[in-house]
Amino acid sequence: MAKVLIAETSYLVRRGLINLLEHTEGVTEIKAEGHPETIMQTLKEFSPDILLLNSAITLPVNHDELLSRLHDNARIIYIINTPLPQDSPNHQISIFDTKNQLSEKIAYHLQQYRDRREEKEETEELTPREKLILKHVALGLTNKEIAAKLFISTHTVISHRKNITRKLDIKTVSGLTVYAILNGIIKMEDIS
Amino acid sequence: MHIHPHMKMSDLVKADFELLAVLQRLKIPFGFKDKSIQTVCREEGIDLNFFLNLAKWFHERDFFPGETLMNHPVKWLVKYLRSTHSCYIDYQIPRIESEIIQIENTDQASSKNMQLMLKFFREYISEFTAHIQLEEEKIFPYILELEENLEKEKPDPEFLGKARGYTIRDFLDEHSDIEEKLTDLRNILLKYLDPPSNNCMFTNILIEIFRLGKDLNDHTILEENVLIPQVIKLEEQFHQKFPEG
Repeated sequence: MAKVLIAETSYLVRRGLINLLEHTEGVTEIKAEGHPETIMQTLKEFSPDILLLNSAITLPVNHDELLSRLHDNARIIYIINTPLPQDSPNHQISIFDTKNQLSEKIAYHLQQYRDRREEKEETEELTPREKLILKHVALGLTNKEIAAKLFISTHTVISHRKNITRKLDIKTVSGLTVYAILNGIIKMEDIS
Repeated sequence: MHIHPHMKMSDLVKADFELLAVLQRLKIPFGFKDKSIQTVCREEGIDLNFFLNLAKWFHERDFFPGETLMNHPVKWLVKYLRSTHSCYIDYQIPRIESEIIQIENTDQASSKNMQLMLKFFREYISEFTAHIQLEEEKIFPYILELEENLEKEKPDPEFLGKARGYTIRDFLDEHSDIEEKLTDLRNILLKYLDPPSNNCMFTNILIEIFRLGKDLNDHTILEENVLIPQVIKLEEQFHQKFPEG
C-alpha cells in the first residue's frame, strides 16, 4: 500500500504514468506535479512512499537534502528522458520503456510497501459457530430467535452475521439460504 | 471522446456502443444516415442539452450528472426512467430468467442447482416488480402532477390535498435497495456454483447479470441524486407559491 508522487514536467508522460499507476496493485494514492515549487510543496504535505522524479528537473534542493525531506522508508525512482540499457537499475525508468518494463520496475519497489495482512490470504472458511448461525438464518429465524436458541445475546448474533456476510459476499437472507443449500448446511426440503 | 452537437450520431454509437441504451430509452429510432446529434435530437423532439448531458455522463463517468441534469423539466427524466423500467421488465429480466430455465432443462448435472437459482431469481423478480410498480403508479404520477400544478395559477384542489400531506422525502426513506439481491445472485453464480457444462450460456447469464446490475446502479443514481433532489426543490417552490391557510 503505497502513495506515489509523480514529479514530471511533460504532460504526456505525467498522464501516462498516472494511467499506469491507477491500474497497478498496491498503489493507494497518486499525485502528480510539474513545477519544482509545487513538487516541493506536495512532497511536504503528501509525504509519498515513492517519488517518481524526472532527472531533468532542477529542484531547489540537492539530492541529500531531498532525501532528508522524504520519510525514512521512502524511495526515489528517476524518470530518464533517454533510452536505458537492458540491464538498467531498478530505480531508473525511461520514457522509452515498454509497459512491461515500467510495470516490473514499479512492482519491484511496491513490494516492500505491501500490507502484511494482505500477504496472508484471507480465509473465507466459516467457523463452525458461524455455520450454525447461518443454518438458523437460512431456516428463517430472526436474530432474536437465534439468540434465544443458542443462549447468546442478539448483539453476538448480529456480529456473527456481519462476519458471515463479509466472508461470503452475500447480504440478503435469501442469498444466504441459497448458499446454505448449495453447501449442504440445510436441505431444500427444510425451507419449502 | 469529446461529445459535441455536430458529431454524427452514428459516430457517437460507434465510439461507445453502451450509449445505445441511452438512445433506446429516449426512443430515438436508428437509421441515422449521416445526421448529427443536433439534427437527430431536433427531429425527435428531444432537448439537445438533455441528451448531451445524459450521453456525457454515461460515457465519461467521472462527472456527476446532478446539477446539469437538474436544470431540465422533471418530466423528461421521468419519461426516461419509465422507458428504462419497461426495458428491465419486458426484456432484460425475462431474458435472464429464460436463460436460467434453458440451462436447467439441458444440463442434467446442474439442473438441481439451477432450480434453486431460478427460485431465487423469481423471488427477485417479484420484489423488483413491486418496487417498479410503486414508482410507476404512485411516485411518478405525483411528480408529474407536482410539476404541472406548479405552473398553474391555482392548483388542482385534489392535488393540493395530496401535496399537503406528502413529500418525496418519505419515498426516499423507503426506496429499497433493489440491487442487493441481484449482487448476491451474481456472487453465488461466480463464487459458489459448480459451473454447468454449458459454460458458454452460463457465462452469458453472468455477463447479463453484471450488466443489469450496472444499469440498475445508474438508474438509482439518477433517481436519488437527480430526480429526488429536483422534486424536493419543486415541492419547496410549490409550498412557497401556495402557502397553507
